[in-house]
Amino acid sequence: MPVERDDCIVIGVPMTKMARGLNPKLGRMIANMMYVGLLAEILGLDQGKLTKALAQQFKGKARAIELNLEAINLGRAFISENVDISDIPFRIEARDVDDDVFLIEGNEAVALGSHYGGVGLLSWYPITPSSSLAEALIAYIPEIRVDENGDHLCAVIQAEDELAAAGMVVGGGWAGSRATTATSGPGSSLMSECIGLAYFAEIPSVIWDINRTGPSTGLPTRTQQGDLTMLYEASHGDTAHPVLIPGNMEECFEFGWKAFDIAERLQTLVFGFSDLDLGMNRWACKGFEYPETPMDRGKVLRTQAELDAIENYGRYRDVDGDGIPYRTLPGSGLDPILYRGTGHDEDGIYSEKPEVYQALMMRLKRKMDNCRTWLPQPVLREEDEKEVGIIYFGSMENSIQEIDDILEDEIGRKVSQCRVRSLPLSPVVEQFIRDHETVIVLEINRDGQLYGILRRELPNDLIGRVHSAAYSDGLPPRARHYSELIKGVLKEVAE
Amino acid sequence: MSIKLNVIDLPKDDYTGGKSTLCPGCGHDQISTVIINSAWENGLKPEKIAKMSGIGCSSKTPAYFLGKSHGFNTVHGRMPAVTTGAAMGNRDLTFLAVSGDGDSASIGIGQFIHAVRRNLDMVYVLENNGVYGLTKGQYSATAVKGSKKKKGAVNKFQPIDLCKLAVNLGCTFVARSFSGSKKQLTALMKAAMSHKGFALIDVISPCVTFNNNDESLRSYTYVKDNDVELHAYDYIPTYSPIEGVEVPEGEFHDITLFDGSTLRLETIGSDHDPTDAVAAMAALHNAEMEDKHVTGLLYFDPDTSTAIEDQCLVETPLAEVSDDVMRPSASSLEVLNARFRGKD
Repeated sequence: MPVERDDCIVIGVPMTKMARGLNPKLGRMIANMMYVGLLAEILGLDQGKLTKALAQQFKGKARAIELNLEAINLGRAFISENVDISDIPFRIEARDVDDDVFLIEGNEAVALGSHYGGVGLLSWYPITPSSSLAEALIAYIPEIRVDENGDHLCAVIQAEDELAAAGMVVGGGWAGSRATTATSGPGSSLMSECIGLAYFAEIPSVIWDINRTGPSTGLPTRTQQGDLTMLYEASHGDTAHPVLIPGNMEECFEFGWKAFDIAERLQTLVFGFSDLDLGMNRWACKGFEYPETPMDRGKVLRTQAELDAIENYGRYRDVDGDGIPYRTLPGSGLDPILYRGTGHDEDGIYSEKPEVYQALMMRLKRKMDNCRTWLPQPVLREEDEKEVGIIYFGSMENSIQEIDDILEDEIGRKVSQCRVRSLPLSPVVEQFIRDHETVIVLEINRDGQLYGILRRELPNDLIGRVHSAAYSDGLPPRARHYSELIKGVLKEVAE
Repeated sequence: MSIKLNVIDLPKDDYTGGKSTLCPGCGHDQISTVIINSAWENGLKPEKIAKMSGIGCSSKTPAYFLGKSHGFNTVHGRMPAVTTGAAMGNRDLTFLAVSGDGDSASIGIGQFIHAVRRNLDMVYVLENNGVYGLTKGQYSATAVKGSKKKKGAVNKFQPIDLCKLAVNLGCTFVARSFSGSKKQLTALMKAAMSHKGFALIDVISPCVTFNNNDESLRSYTYVKDNDVELHAYDYIPTYSPIEGVEVPEGEFHDITLFDGSTLRLETIGSDHDPTDAVAAMAALHNAEMEDKHVTGLLYFDPDTSTAIEDQCLVETPLAEVSDDVMRPSASSLEVLNARFRGKD
């Protein structure tokens, strides 16, 4: 079928015939390598690099290397014999190598970060695109998480389902270790009940959601930022959970360990939020930085003397006025209680008293409001003329420069940027919105989920200046889609 | 007046809990008493016990025993998972779990099965009455076929027998008992506490409010009259020398438990070998065919490794390992960075 597009250069190549000519049996399997040869010849890709890549991929299987090389050469020969490439304006040029930069997947970076956070339990249920996070975490245990006898410092359980994976995380946190699981949207849906338990019983827990395209089973091998609202408010009743949103490999690592500090400091469940694009693709990384601070284990009373120093101790009593109570661990024998997901008073005893329930819920809210100023703060890039501000998060980081360039070319002005890195939102985000006349929220979903959260949490006088540019088709964000949406918003605002 | 102390010099008061809010006469309260007595007489350290439960009448009971132990009344059917996570965090704790038939045979049957499969080291007391008490008496998945509760129709469905399931899954300690058989239940409870691995005690515990009528095959009277006991039991703790224990007149044999204590099985009627899984299944099947309840130690396997042993973890509970050991060194990260950069 002929391609009728004026933005394409069409070159017809009898691929199947050529491949069969090379090897009748394996023809179909090597046609793709012929395609590599065609492109390499057109774009001017160095054969030395290709040969090296082949050797790496097939690890010494001489016959396979030879066959694939022949297919590449056949592709190259077709172009040099049949096509005048001087008509084609695309070439590849080698760039100077930055010796310090390497490529790594976001999932591997989170896994490593978790280890440097001292993770003691990984419970997980396989699900694309998060499995590689769990598998990377497991793979590093023999190297960096064993003692001098070779005994492990991190337990791993492949759970029967996500309900159990989340329950194990809660159990691990309750016992005083650092526990985590990795999942994606369908798993987070199942985990909801234990997420509510962790919130209400105040158990430090960490869950990484590597977003794939929803709803339901959705597009399991495609990407999206469609789980954000669900994570922020997961489980029934009034809840809220901190969500950490890395935008690059360095942050995937950093938030990997920091999630545990935050969970233990707040005594609550914390989400890490990544997506298939960030998690399963390889991105440039400048290197991982060792945590600059010791672990923050939060308010844990480990001795009788520490317990005695607190006047009127109760597991859920807000002694310090920051909404965060003190806890003792099972096995310590210190002021034991029966933890519960039912309503409870400041001593952890079951209670249905209206004033007790209401005070508890308000304390939990206070705890969450107080962390807005010390969770990972937004990254700002502000222009002098504060007309248009863009808010975005997560893997959109990889497209923002291109969006910025298109806007500068086509509307003739630069825009300020605010990359959100956590929920609940920092007051810095509110100030950014106050400082700009028009603010547009970019996100990879249909409904504008962060936009919705902003509309709910912003003061009334700011809501009108915030607009949504949300788009999702399963693929990673393309700058053109967003620049057009932004231009549409600006046009609408101008009218 | 001197207060009686146990082997670690603690009074029984250190093992009691709050006042029960269950219906007067509930079988579950008798089980709580057995738990208190067994933990006290075995000399378990209260602070090293973790009480675990799900949701239901049975799962409320950890509030009524072992007030000096931490506990976790989790969510419906998820107690096995929470216990698994907690065990990975602190391997020194003795997990004493209470669940019900709704919790374990319906909403949480998956987690029950997988905890058994992993041989998680815990005592799993199933307080089994065949009905949902907290929601006012609906049949559960363990209700006996042909049984009729106080209100409503005869149960038409095949019950799920968690003991059969457990034997099939290689559960390392499977027992059935009756809340009205205090002596037998106490011996089995103590033995379960001395066992290494998953110890299931399925205790038929009649619901006095919804399932104790004459047409019910789970009423006190019916169970008492149709209880087929496998053996008579004597639990001989590790601290009392076995030579000092009176030898029974009839045939018996002893099982040595993980902590060195002994469970003495005295033969009554036909002898049951608790290491024979097929015999255990046959005993359960035969009892079911005759509308009987077979009680006693059905199956026992002291050799299978536990979930914790399979992890190859350090001896110290992970929750107690110092932070600078749990966090890998800065130099290890330098090595990784160098490798990623192709400079190692």
